[in-house]
Amino acid sequence: MSIETISILVLFVSFMGLLAYGVPVAYSIGIATTLTLLINIPYLPATTTISQRMTTGIDNFALLAIPFFILAGEIMNRGGIANRLIEFAKSLIGSLPGGLAYVNIISAMLFGAISGSAIAAASAIGSTLTEKMVKDGYPREFSAAVNISSSTTGLLIPPSNVLIIFALASGGTASVAALFIAGYIPGILVGLAIMGVVYVYALRKGLPKEKRVSFKKLFRDFKNAILSLTLLVIVVGGIVAGIFTATEAAAIAVVYAVLLGFINRELKFSDFRPILLRSARTTAIVMFLIATSMAMSWLFSFESIPQSLTGFLLESVKNPLLVLLFINITLLVVGTFMDMTPAVLIFTPIFLPVVMALGMHPVQFGMVIVLNLCIGICTPPVGTLLFVGSGVAKVPVVKVIKPLMPLLGAMVGVLMMLTYFPELSLWLPRAFGLID
Amino acid sequence: LFIISCSERASHKTLFFAHSLPITHPVHKGILSMQETLKEKSGGKLQIKIFPDGQLGSEREMLELLQIGSVAMTKVSAASMSSFAPEYKVLGIPYLFRDSDHMFSVLEGEVGKKILEGGSEYLLRGLCFYDAGARSFYTLDGFIKTPEDLKGKKIRVMNDQMAVNMVNDLGGSATPMAYGELYTALQQRVVDGAENNIPSFVTSNHYEICKFYTVDEHTMTPDVVVVGTKFWDTLSDIEKEWLQAAADESVAKQKVFWRETVKENMEVLKNANVEIYTPDKSPFISKTKPILEELMKDPIMKKIIDQINDY
Amino acid sequence: MQTTYKILNKTIEGMLVLIFSLLVLDVVWQVISRYVVGQSSSFTEEFARFSLIWLTVLGAAYINGQREGHLSMDFLLTKLPQKRQHKRNKVIQIFMAIFALGVMVIGGGNLVYITLKLGQLSPALLVPLGFVYAIVPICGLIIIFFSIYHIKITFNPNHNEY
Ligand code: NA
Ligand code: NA
Repeated sequence: MSIETISILVLFVSFMGLLAYGVPVAYSIGIATTLTLLINIPYLPATTTISQRMTTGIDNFALLAIPFFILAGEIMNRGGIANRLIEFAKSLIGSLPGGLAYVNIISAMLFGAISGSAIAAASAIGSTLTEKMVKDGYPREFSAAVNISSSTTGLLIPPSNVLIIFALASGGTASVAALFIAGYIPGILVGLAIMGVVYVYALRKGLPKEKRVSFKKLFRDFKNAILSLTLLVIVVGGIVAGIFTATEAAAIAVVYAVLLGFINRELKFSDFRPILLRSARTTAIVMFLIATSMAMSWLFSFESIPQSLTGFLLESVKNPLLVLLFINITLLVVGTFMDMTPAVLIFTPIFLPVVMALGMHPVQFGMVIVLNLCIGICTPPVGTLLFVGSGVAKVPVVKVIKPLMPLLGAMVGVLMMLTYFPELSLWLPRAFGLID
Repeated sequence: LFIISCSERASHKTLFFAHSLPITHPVHKGILSMQETLKEKSGGKLQIKIFPDGQLGSEREMLELLQIGSVAMTKVSAASMSSFAPEYKVLGIPYLFRDSDHMFSVLEGEVGKKILEGGSEYLLRGLCFYDAGARSFYTLDGFIKTPEDLKGKKIRVMNDQMAVNMVNDLGGSATPMAYGELYTALQQRVVDGAENNIPSFVTSNHYEICKFYTVDEHTMTPDVVVVGTKFWDTLSDIEKEWLQAAADESVAKQKVFWRETVKENMEVLKNANVEIYTPDKSPFISKTKPILEELMKDPIMKKIIDQINDY
Repeated sequence: MQTTYKILNKTIEGMLVLIFSLLVLDVVWQVISRYVVGQSSSFTEEFARFSLIWLTVLGAAYINGQREGHLSMDFLLTKLPQKRQHKRNKVIQIFMAIFALGVMVIGGGNLVYITLKLGQLSPALLVPLGFVYAIVPICGLIIIFFSIYHIKITFNPNHNEY
């Protein structure tokens, strides 16, 4: 066996073993990387290199957007933003059959758009809406399933931390601005696909609808929601217009959220310390994962793993459509047992050269990998969103799976569209002149 | 089987050579010729494995990896070397060299040799210099015919104090920014221009956006091929000789590759309707004098600069 | 040991809040200065990047001190009976401590040593890069302390929970 083959085996086996044993993901990545590098170079240079890669891997101004969006989300979650968005969505479309389910989807899209976190969206919207849906005759597990699947849209609709992480993992071949703008169509498509499933379900089960509201109430609810939605215009508009970078936009979002919190009298100075500490915790979990993953992706380059895989895939599977299908299936399987951030960081450097060799634009691949992993966080055994969503709806995880299936099926449908129709991802950023 | 592969491995040493340029770049071609010469000279006992495209990190990070000892060799700009080994700072002074002949005679003479060897103190031994042309301004709106044209313009520079001072001294507003972010920044007019040599201007596709290239040639900072002393010290005397000879022989070839590339690049620029203007350099030279004067205060730097001027 | 644990936690919490606050002020100032003064400084950017490194590594050590910590795939672990869970958690703590010692303390320490010895300075702020990297070995030591704490107290059935 060649040293390369041994290295890949050690890397794979130790990583999977440590994960399965229950060692935290960040440490599993770090330990497996260290063991593998030790096969190739002596102890001191190997461990020093890993320390260097961990620190320089996060020494990146673009990554600062992550703590800031997390902080802005924390500040906004304190206030009644979720309620305002739900009221607005209810006035807008509550009067359709199955209206509350649509309300859930729209609110999750709006809230997820602002906070950029699927977990935050699922818990904020789910905890406010589920009981009302149940009272109106919606099955509890169905409400949970709709809430879970629709909360993923916020990861595609900008701003989105996972897209920033993808930009980093792509080695700068995809810009944050282009990815943000590109996320709108896929995100909205996922929302529409979920609504489609709800529509069929509503027809078959005869779900209830809300009273149609007066135009005056619609206008009032819109006014209440607008201050929160303005943030999107500032952040995304500012980035796309080139007024500021994603990082600066995220810092602006923090300032805006603080001002909004004071205006709405939902924020006090004494809140700052706990909010900052909680955000620091969340930041450290994500960023430490990024740190060890950056060491691992350096190891990939050191072992020339992406090059070997690209060569192997393109030679053994001649049909490009099949290669893309293979990559999608791999990512769907990976997504079932791995969380989003590590999966993006580990599999982007491996698969991006392959798809680029096939002529796929990195921005399009960003949409494909993120939607893939959005499906993954809704499935057992590791499904953070599934667990949080079931938790807030107070329903056992196993009962949610059945109503979730058609919704996930719709998401897979959108995934295939994104894979084989590049324009869905590329048309908008191209129209804004962000890619060629 | 295992024994065979082990003995095979023992019979030759592999040198990991990492750099940040694409494989189409003339510098990469220079490294390829070095790889070939070394294999020939050593009869396959010493081989180079190249990691292009910044796969193993940025220039600063690679230099650190050389010091750590996990990577053997790299190619960086002399500007990157200056934050590790201060003598290299001299090479970044604007208008230090009268022309490229002056530059080559300095770099390939005693001064160049001294600077290259001086890095060993910082675990980074220079092997040879590569031609990196001259850096000039390129802009979105109009040429930089005189330094006055830089007024109010945001110019992207490397994250390097001397580069910042130079643009500010000329009257522009220096904006340090990562190279990878520059394309989008130009497109969105976050900056009004940047400065680089012709091949980088073309490979980065910045010429698609910036249609004005002013050949003011403010700096002629060369590239350096560096070997970490951690690796160098493991080589036998004859191996060291092979490596140095292979590096030296690649210098002349790299110069040819560079000239050919610039010629091809000029065609590309012409077809893309990029306009090129060569200004009178004297106002640029006088405005950037403070940088030279500042460095002359340091006796070690003064000695090197005086030697360079004597050539 | 518990007093040390508590003091350590409080200290890290204070530092995390401080670093995060400075980080926000720094980047907000960067945006303002770019528009009001018309010049962006490489100082604010470098300060922000270095703060993020400290926030990340220090935060990671802090999370190691908590019971509910880093993201892990514990779906198999939680199915085990309590006693075996404790046993396994102890082994996991040992794994993390080995990484902290072998990579963060020794490798990170060597990195600090090399960069300090060779006098490498950051380009804009001119601080020795060794100081920036120093957070890695320091946090390695903190993580080892937390691992010992968890093995002796948190996952020790004989120890009365406070
Ligand atoms: Na979002
Ligand atoms: Na999953």
